[in-house]
Amino acid sequence: MPELTYREAVRDALAQALRTDESVFVMGEDIAEMGGSMAVTQGLLEEFGPKRIRNTPISEMAIVGSGIGAAIQGMRPVVEIMYEDFLTLSMEQLVNQAAKHRTMSGGQVKVPLTIRTQGGAGWSPGAQHAQQLEAWFVHVPGLKVVFASTPEDVRGLLWSAIYDDNPVVFFEHRTLYPLKGEVPTKLEPIPLGKARIHREGEDVTVVATGRLVHEALQAAEVAESEGISVEVVDPRTLLPLDEEAILGSVRKTTRCVTAHEAVIRGGFGSELAAVIQHGAFDWLDAPIERVGARFAPLPFAPAMEQWVVPHAEDVLEAIRRTVARS
Amino acid sequence: MASEVKLPRLGQGMESGTIVRWLKSEGEPVAKGDPLYELDTDKVTQEVEAEATGVLLKIVIADGEVDVGTTVGVIGAQDEDVSELLAASQGGNGGAPATVPDAAAPARAADQPRGSEPQSAMRDTAVSEIATSAGLAGERMKASPLARRMARERGVDLAIVTGTGPEGRVIAEDVEGAAARAPEPSAAPSPVTTSAPATSPTTDDVEVVELTSTRRTIARRLTEAWAAPVFQLSVTADATELVATREQLVALLREGETKPTVNDVLTRVVASSLVRHRPVNAHFSDGRILRFPSANIGLAVAAPGGLVVPVIRDADKKTIQQIAVARADLVSRARDGKLKLADLEGGTFTISNLGMYGIEQFVAVLNPPQVAILAVGSIEDRPAARDGELAIAPTMTMVLTCDHRAIDGSEGAEFLRTVKAFVESPALAL
Repeated sequence: MPELTYREAVRDALAQALRTDESVFVMGEDIAEMGGSMAVTQGLLEEFGPKRIRNTPISEMAIVGSGIGAAIQGMRPVVEIMYEDFLTLSMEQLVNQAAKHRTMSGGQVKVPLTIRTQGGAGWSPGAQHAQQLEAWFVHVPGLKVVFASTPEDVRGLLWSAIYDDNPVVFFEHRTLYPLKGEVPTKLEPIPLGKARIHREGEDVTVVATGRLVHEALQAAEVAESEGISVEVVDPRTLLPLDEEAILGSVRKTTRCVTAHEAVIRGGFGSELAAVIQHGAFDWLDAPIERVGARFAPLPFAPAMEQWVVPHAEDVLEAIRRTVARS
Repeated sequence: MASEVKLPRLGQGMESGTIVRWLKSEGEPVAKGDPLYELDTDKVTQEVEAEATGVLLKIVIADGEVDVGTTVGVIGAQDEDVSELLAASQGGNGGAPATVPDAAAPARAADQPRGSEPQSAMRDTAVSEIATSAGLAGERMKASPLARRMARERGVDLAIVTGTGPEGRVIAEDVEGAAARAPEPSAAPSPVTTSAPATSPTTDDVEVVELTSTRRTIARRLTEAWAAPVFQLSVTADATELVATREQLVALLREGETKPTVNDVLTRVVASSLVRHRPVNAHFSDGRILRFPSANIGLAVAAPGGLVVPVIRDADKKTIQQIAVARADLVSRARDGKLKLADLEGGTFTISNLGMYGIEQFVAVLNPPQVAILAVGSIEDRPAARDGELAIAPTMTMVLTCDHRAIDGSEGAEFLRTVKAFVESPALAL
């Protein structure tokens, strides 16, 4: 199996979709000649030309709005929002338009739009360029929300997002772009709404997303050496959510930790905790622990940034609490 | 608000620890994270830190071995009265789980809202409902949902379970331990039950079988038997006549009568042998040997709940047919679990027959206080020397296990010689 970085995997999914299907095109700020601020779209302009790899003005509202228009007209646009912090500027288009057209038109209109974006701390981007806002969109009926954590997943999920007939907000994590991983030789679409069990365990389930999947896997290694067997599950798609897989895992292990980089309060872990306590109440042997960032705007100073966002040690501590060992 | 210092579980499988010494004295202020006392477990000695800030109001247990979850001290505000709290914790966490005294209720309830999490009215209601159903109105008991479900399913009263989770919460492991210690709900409490270990290694796909009281009795008695100095003697007998006797008896039966088995015939001839060799028909107990005038023969029967040994009384005075009827009744009741204590008492000797399984020969473990047991193998056509010629004859091998404290080799050998003679010529036993 070939090895790709997470960045190359995103690019590969885009390129394959562009090659396969004339209705797919990509647009966003500086994505053409510059190849995007994260260098994800490098080389696409040369292969597919300026009509399909389009730079846009600096207006997130316009980027998403025009994407919606093209999607309604039968295209499958993939628009890039440079930082997910900037999604805030496109909320009207995303929440009030893209998410609503299909149902409000009685199914006459579909919006097969993919909104790619990225975020995440770990490189001192400061408070306005590294937030993790995925939970905001999980609250909106009509949207789908994806957060991929590995090269294989990001490629297979992006393909499925592009070919989904609904607007999909597709989150990538900034610090995962250089991450290498094996991918199938032939692109295999990964259905939206299917979780992935990264590691099987018996004592506690960690449901983690994005960067925290890798932190959870590290924590699981350490826990193993302490005699605690940890199962790590990545939902991959936050909306729709693979409740069956998550509940099945927690019913087996009887304990659960949720982990994401976003702040805990109102975070996706809170939704997971609610789903789990309801669906696995009689199986729970400990309170569900939530791991996430401290409730603060992300500091610029590297030491403070590290203190605010969660790491493997935080997941490990939570694991120990659930097995009553701290 | 005073908080109890409970012995923490520092590793999986840790059930208790030994307090070496306290690093703070009563009345001394402590801050959360301060080393409080030294704890010795079977693995390490380490300092345990305070989980609350305040004054060490009371050292409940100064040193010595303590179970996980036991209250060993109390931290609270200066001059706070903790007598009620202590009364409660001693009732709820003491070694012998009995009923929680009523005094526990208000003190424990007062101890609950320690954290900063606001308790909603709804939660109060839910928790008090559960507490009421456990027979402890007014008390709030911490137990995980899984522990509650397990307690419900296994009929364990949560009120008597000591919680070892955070803040004394009852977790699944605690219920498992309590269920393992609890006596069988249906079986009469056996005077000999020793408590099973609190936790069993329940990892992987291991099937955990909790001991029934029957099984516990078997385990205890056979372990005791193992302490006796035993020797074995074996003999092989020609069973031609034994089998023929049984066939003749069966031929004379009327419709519906119980058919004797070969083992019934054997029981009868062994009984005759026993009364001729009293040293083998005996008990060894309290440093004395009791030799009995009649043979009460126990038959080892595989019952669903485990091995049982019902007794055929006065087998030396019964006809083979009477033995067959008694045996059929005992075996059928043994399989239905309907034996009475009287059926199992008074045996002077035991026969264990595994011939029906094709076992050729085996050694049985003594059934104390009896001094001997006969292990009987299968009757099969085997080569046998007859009048200097090689012949085929149905033979069986019997192994006698003897308690050397009561029987010498020659006594056992004489008995076995008689058994062999009677097996080969059953008429001699009459």
